[in-house]
This record gives sequence, structure tokens and C-alpha cells, in this order.
Amino acid sequence: MDKNENVIQIGLLAQALDAEYSIFERMKIKKESLKRVGYAIGFYISVMIIFTIVL
Amino acid sequence: MLELFPLIIVLAFLFETMDSSAGMGFGTGLTPLLFLLGYDPLQVVPILLLSEAITGFTSSYFHHEFENVSFSLKKPYNQETKITGMIAVTGCFAIVLSVVLTYAALDLPKSFIKTYVGILVLIMGFIGMVRLKSKTSRYRPRLLTGFAALAGFNKGIGAGGYGPVVMMGQLFSGIYEKTATAIVSLAEGIVSVVGFASFVFITSYGVTVDYLLLPSIFTGGFIAAIISPYMVRVLPNKMWRIVIPIYAILMGILTLAKVINIIP
Repeated sequence: MDKNENVIQIGLLAQALDAEYSIFERMKIKKESLKRVGYAIGFYISVMIIFTIVL
Repeated sequence: MLELFPLIIVLAFLFETMDSSAGMGFGTGLTPLLFLLGYDPLQVVPILLLSEAITGFTSSYFHHEFENVSFSLKKPYNQETKITGMIAVTGCFAIVLSVVLTYAALDLPKSFIKTYVGILVLIMGFIGMVRLKSKTSRYRPRLLTGFAALAGFNKGIGAGGYGPVVMMGQLFSGIYEKTATAIVSLAEGIVSVVGFASFVFITSYGVTVDYLLLPSIFTGGFIAAIISPYMVRVLPNKMWRIVIPIYAILMGILTLAKVINIIP
């Protein structure tokens, strides 16, 4: 990780993630995040329904 | 019945994947391709802005979720949020300026300006490649403000290149690649809302926007806006340090190709 204080302030989270976890470990995502992906799919379907009605 | 075009979905997916992971290319790359396919500007430009607004917010939300960045919605705002705000405000002013200039019918030499933007992005891409050798970089907020203003000026005079200049400017200013990508996604989302609002304003003067491509571009772009932040999280930052300047060089070449009419 870069020791420069200012660089650490901007991108701290991503730098820490890269420094502490391997690629395979980074592939795992939290259940909460998966739930949010599900919500996003729900949002997509809703928008497409609106498009079907409006356009 | 809603019409979906598989080729447009695939193209939107590919360019949004690069835009959400390398911070540039959705407008610069997709616009000429859609013109090549025979669509006219009012079928393409406002739709790309609307789609970019939705995908910009979606992608930045997932960048935050997948820990490529941390945005703070409550005071005190962290550095990432302040930088995003500064870049977005510059871009919004630029969009408004662009509309005003169009209405003032100022005869700007567009090909000269686009050549300058193409060369600028190309040089920034090459500097980005040279920069690969240096392992440390210092955060330079003044330099970043300068690049944001320069990118805003480019967009304001209608020459494009906002994403590449802001993205490369962030990297030269010492911001971590993965985080810079997330910041530019949110800033472009905000700027695109203002851009689309400008088109809505124009429609009140009798210009008709064609929404035919919206469902297809939205579909491709939205899927990419979820997948790309995950890709950014998983793939090593070293890789993005190489991919981003190479992609900037390609975008510079593409801009110059448009000037000399190799592509529309």
C-alpha cells in the first residue's frame, strides 16, 4: 500500500482490499450485496414495464 | 410492443463495461458506432445521456457496495465525495455552457477543437503509460481541479472527451485507479442528468427526441453497470493501471478518426 498519507485518504478501502485479500478472496461477496443485486434486477424489470407502457 | 435490438444491447453492454471499469468510452465509443448503423443524433445523444444517468448512478452504487470506493452521504463528507462533487459541478456548468453556446449560435471551429481534444487524450494516455514505472504518487488537489475544469471546458464547447480527461486527470493527481473509476461513474451520472434535462428543455422548443433505442441501450448498459464494479473489485489494480491508459489512447485515436471523417 502506498505510504503517502493523501493517497491513502483517497481510495483507502480499495487499497486495503487489494493489500489484504487475494483475487479469489475478493471474488466472494457479502449476502447483503447479493440481495442488493436482486433489488437492482427488480428495478430493471420495473423500468422495462414502465417503458412498455410509456413508449 | 417494446422493441429490443440485440446488436444494440451487446454494444451498449460492451461500452458500458469499459466505461464503468475504465471510466471512459460510453459516449465517445458508442455514439459514432450508432451513427454508422444509421441512427440520427436525436435518436442517439439524448438516449445515451439518459441511459448514462441511470447506469452512472447504478454503477457508482455498486462500486460503493463492492468497496472500490466509500461515498459519504452525510456530513462531514469524505475526500471521495468532495472530489466527485467538484468534478460533477464542473461538468454540469459545462453542459449548461454547451447549451447556451449552441443557442448563441457561436461559430466554433469544431474540427479544430475535436483535434485538440483527441491529441490531449492521446498525450494523457501516453503519459499514463510512462507513469506505469513510478510506484508512488502524491495527491495534488489543485492539479485535479485544473483537469476537471479542462474536461468541463472540452464538454462545454461540445468537443466531448470529458470522461477520458477527468479519469486520466484523477490518476495524474494521485488517486487510486479503482477509486477514480468509481468517482468518475458517479460524476458522469450527475452530469448526464443535467445533460438530459437540457434536451428536455430543447424539446419545449419543438425538437423531438426519439426513444426507440432507449430500452436496448438501457438493458445492455444496466447489466454492465452491475458487473463492472464487481470486475473492478476482483481484478488487480495493476491491471487497471495498464488498461486505462491504453483505452485512453484508443479513445484519442477514435476522436481524431472522427475529425478526419474516417468514421462519422
